[in-house]
Amino acid sequence: MTSTSTNEPQSLLSMLDLSQTNCLNESPENNIKNIVGGKKKNTTGGHLLSDADEQLLITLAFTQAIRVRSIVIGTKEDHIAQAPSKIKLAINNMSMDFDSFEDVQEIELSKDDVNGVKEIPLRYVRFQRVTSLHILVDANQDGEDETRIDVLDVIGIPVETTKDLAGLKNQEHDHDH
Amino acid sequence: MPLEATMMIIDNSEYMRNGDYPTTRFDAQSDAVNAVFQAKIDSNPENTVGIMTMAGKAPEVLVTHSKEFGQILQAVHDTSGKISGSVDITTAIAVAQLALKHRENKNLRQRIVVFTGSPLEGAGADEKSLVKLAKKLKKNNVALDVVAFGDAIEDSGEVVLRAFVDNTNSGDNSHLLTVPPGPRLISDAIMSSPILAADIRGGIPDELMGGDVASGSGGAGASNDFEFGVDPSLDPELAMALRMSMQEAQAREQVGKPEEEKVPADAGGEEDAMLKQAISMSKDEDVEMGAAGGSGDVPMDEDEDEEAAIARAIAMSMESPPEDGKDKK
Repeated sequence: MTSTSTNEPQSLLSMLDLSQTNCLNESPENNIKNIVGGKKKNTTGGHLLSDADEQLLITLAFTQAIRVRSIVIGTKEDHIAQAPSKIKLAINNMSMDFDSFEDVQEIELSKDDVNGVKEIPLRYVRFQRVTSLHILVDANQDGEDETRIDVLDVIGIPVETTKDLAGLKNQEHDHDH
Repeated sequence: MPLEATMMIIDNSEYMRNGDYPTTRFDAQSDAVNAVFQAKIDSNPENTVGIMTMAGKAPEVLVTHSKEFGQILQAVHDTSGKISGSVDITTAIAVAQLALKHRENKNLRQRIVVFTGSPLEGAGADEKSLVKLAKKLKKNNVALDVVAFGDAIEDSGEVVLRAFVDNTNSGDNSHLLTVPPGPRLISDAIMSSPILAADIRGGIPDELMGGDVASGSGGAGASNDFEFGVDPSLDPELAMALRMSMQEAQAREQVGKPEEEKVPADAGGEEDAMLKQAISMSKDEDVEMGAAGGSGDVPMDEDEDEEAAIARAIAMSMESPPEDGKDKK
């Protein structure tokens, strides 16, 4: 990892810990692995679909602490009615469920926000040292029974740890030991 | 070999005193609880099992996430002296869900196994609220197995429980097992059911299963599935001998009753003609012939030749079929 890339916001999906990453209320076939299983932005036909109702609770666990600047959520044009319209975000609480979700930030999304390209900025200061990011999808655009997500990406920078010795010289302003 | 945290909910209501399952419903349930615990723990060393009751004053968690058989035994033993009240299935499941949520190892999938021998009564036990609860379980990725016996499968109980399990089911992870009263142990029924199928057979490829699994998948339960209590694939000669001896016995029985009907196919030549005659006679005069066949030939001998011939035919027909039976095999 070069010193430039640590300061440049980048896709952090490569740091996903897939064994801890899961999604509640996903359908058995169209699950979270379809869209983040490749540890990069999804380009396959796979998608994530909700099961019992329209809500989804996505837990993204990372192998190291990260700072999250923005996220990308996308649903294909044909299924835009099933795209998320209201999401809540939380961090670092692996025992989240639908009832006890305490959000750090709540975001309303328009149909333009969920085209899979647009970055949705987060309150950066609240997403420092994220080891797990939880996204609760509360509702979808047209009140459909099932919510569908085709693309999910997390943009930010990794918090430097001693694991990444190459980046140590840029560490003066970090306080993470 | 699923990686699972399991919460067993046992029934300790007054209905469990009933003796329609050996020895009492509660004992049969305890047996089943032990069986499930062993299977779950053996299938994966990381698995944990908890246990709670759902009757008495209120649902009560006895053991959370344990791998110690002793703790389960103690919990069941303590409960055996505290059988009271009636079940509150919805509250119990909510509590179990909470216990599962706070498991230490988040890699474990969540499963609730409910044992119930009580009728579905009281608030929240109607189909509508149970389906709602089922949806909630499914949403939170909790699998559900229900073992229903006794009063739980009477009236509409089975239908409601079926709806409950079906609505929780996601990717065939939830099962309903109903065990009717009788000599069959609940634990045996569970061992050979889909509830523990993944745990018992887990990790063993199909081609390696063969005979080992027949014994592995639950001793008595498995052996009952075969015709003579012997797996034909394990000992074909013994199975064949058993089948032959049974067929012979059946042949002998059939000869004893409607003798004449069995004969025509095998006897040949003149005998055949005589036998046919005998048969036609017997059909015409059923009662008389029945008496003749049963009580013996002595009175007949004194009659005309024709009658004697018939009697002889009957006697022959009684001799020949067993031999014939052997020839066929």
